[in-house]
Amino acid sequence: MEKYLDKLPFFVEQIKSMKETIIANIVFIGQIPAPTFKEKRRTNLFMERLAEFQVDECTTDGYRNPVGIIRGTSPSKPPVFVVAHLDTVFEKDVDHNYTVRKRTIKGAGILENSLSIGVLASLPEIFRKLDLSFESDIVLVGVIQSLGRGNLRGIRHLLKTWDTPIRGAICLESVELGRLNYYSEGMIRCEVECDISPTPGPLQKFKSNAILILNEVINQILELRLPQRPRSRVIIGKISGGFKHGTIAYKAKLGFEIQSDSDKMVKSIYNDINDIIEDISHQNEIELKLKTISNLSAASLKYNHPLVKSAGAIIESLGLKPICEPSESELSIFLSHNIPAVTLGITRGENIHLENATMEIEPMYKGIAQIIGVIMAIDKGVCDE
Amino acid sequence: MNSNWLKKNTFHYSEFKDINRLVEEKERKKIKISLCLPTLNEEKTIAKEIIIMKSELMSRFQLLDEIVVIDSGSTDRTMEIASSYGADVYKADDILPKLEKFKGKGENLWKALYITKGDIIVYLDADIKNIHHRFVYALVGPLLLFDNIKYCKGFYDRPIARGKKKLRPTGGGRVTELVIRPLFSLFFPELTQIMQPLSGEYAGYRELFEKIPFPIGYGIETSIILDTYEKWGLDVIAQVDLERRVHRNQDTKSLGKMSFVILKTFCKRLEKLGIAELKSDIFNEMIQYKLGKDEYQPDIYIDRGFERPPIIEIPEYREKFKVI
Repeated sequence: MEKYLDKLPFFVEQIKSMKETIIANIVFIGQIPAPTFKEKRRTNLFMERLAEFQVDECTTDGYRNPVGIIRGTSPSKPPVFVVAHLDTVFEKDVDHNYTVRKRTIKGAGILENSLSIGVLASLPEIFRKLDLSFESDIVLVGVIQSLGRGNLRGIRHLLKTWDTPIRGAICLESVELGRLNYYSEGMIRCEVECDISPTPGPLQKFKSNAILILNEVINQILELRLPQRPRSRVIIGKISGGFKHGTIAYKAKLGFEIQSDSDKMVKSIYNDINDIIEDISHQNEIELKLKTISNLSAASLKYNHPLVKSAGAIIESLGLKPICEPSESELSIFLSHNIPAVTLGITRGENIHLENATMEIEPMYKGIAQIIGVIMAIDKGVCDE
Repeated sequence: MNSNWLKKNTFHYSEFKDINRLVEEKERKKIKISLCLPTLNEEKTIAKEIIIMKSELMSRFQLLDEIVVIDSGSTDRTMEIASSYGADVYKADDILPKLEKFKGKGENLWKALYITKGDIIVYLDADIKNIHHRFVYALVGPLLLFDNIKYCKGFYDRPIARGKKKLRPTGGGRVTELVIRPLFSLFFPELTQIMQPLSGEYAGYRELFEKIPFPIGYGIETSIILDTYEKWGLDVIAQVDLERRVHRNQDTKSLGKMSFVILKTFCKRLEKLGIAELKSDIFNEMIQYKLGKDEYQPDIYIDRGFERPPIIEIPEYREKFKVI
């Protein structure tokens, strides 16, 4: 392992010398809007770039996830997957033109997750420049339908239909450099919709208020006693509703996530919240609907798994400190298929979910070197035990 | 009127997508190609233009031999950023320093002829937000593949029906439709076939650019077309549909100043060609008004209509390029 650790600082300089290619890919791909379920144009360009950089095979799977394959030298070794989600939270009418400056790139979706897709498209050329070849096939995938209501459908489908073993996987997220995710919590993402039919006439001023109803739901959720072991929490993340200041709100919506180390606990909390909602609905004689938007099972590698240890050492060899937190991304789907996987961040940035998201260019070179280091580690067999 | 020109000399960028073929043709002809980006406070867009052209047309395909930025005196970080991404950056005032100094886009383009090495020079505005390498390869394509074409102009979102029921948005910019197109219709109807005469994206052979004068300001695009047309005819000109171009929108007052300069350039050409004669001198001041505290105040823009002579007449140029 130490042999390639020594090479990483040298890789950083080599990768830096390819900055035009890497930034061009980030800009070309990132400037194409790709809201979840509408990723086709970005998919096509991503494939076009992979083909131009001469991957050995370039295709889409049955779900239209774009896949590029760089053939390895040993046909008996299972492939290594490198994936990044292709969709963003921004609709196509948002300005996606990026601004490149000396040290930064700014634009909608750059940190979620266009930078990663641009880097993914650049990897074939980077391998060529670094004169790297691998025993395993390297499978590069830009997964679609990942975010929100997409509920990681792209990666779920890909792994369900991939019929040969997978040696290991790396999931790419644009930020933060140093992140090392190797476990994911159980999660259910829900929405509660409160809909009170308006009736004409003077009595309307005494009708229930959808916002106050949801306020009551929130209060009762906050009163739930959540265990510290397994660690569990309910995150109230979104709320919307109402029409104007002086009118009773007839419609309101609440979005929250239940997270826990234990799938059983997630389910149990979900049932408790469902009871709360049914009770409030009954008491107030209003319609209150609980919808599940997406869910994930808890899955984990052990901290002393060779892949986690190697990835940690690689990150440290680049002068960074690994930051270990749970991740709900593609990682959890790999882990739930018993495929060793980690999520890595590529650079630093700010305003991650905003239209003026900004990435730093310089740290990205270390971020890419780290990805190559982990691919090399998997190719040397750290996931084979 | 030669109305065949529109059909014969109008291309779509996709016809030149095979960049390898262009590189082969360039090598066969043993020529060099330079890209020139004239700048004035373009720190938001300059890096992206340089990066994409370097990546796609210098590293991946060797179509371009150099990228040169000629700056009119930016007060932002345009020059620093351009330099950090590897372009050759020059202050316009530092080029041919013995000559009188002027500020303007035409001045930058003219001085680029002295600085660049290329046999073909591609000029691109530096404020294109959706920059793509097609902006260069599509302009160079007709020059490399058709021996009669010496000057190629870009246009975007033009009024061309492409197949059944597929209409693209119509119309040029406001100055094109309100100033240039009426003037062309009155005096040079053939030139109305040029969809966007004021576009800032064009390429041509040095042998053409060096033999025509360059107005120092906004009149440059108009004068290149008129002078090329007059000297060599319409058949040496081509135009390429570059599809979409996103750029900074200019306010009406700025467009008024631009129109003023273009009209002056046009009048000068009409006189030179003997088409019209002005009985008295025309003025150099464009007068617009703005509302001050309690009164209207004139906002005066001065354009002296200065033009650089064909650069082939400049001794330093003749010496550098060994013109006999």
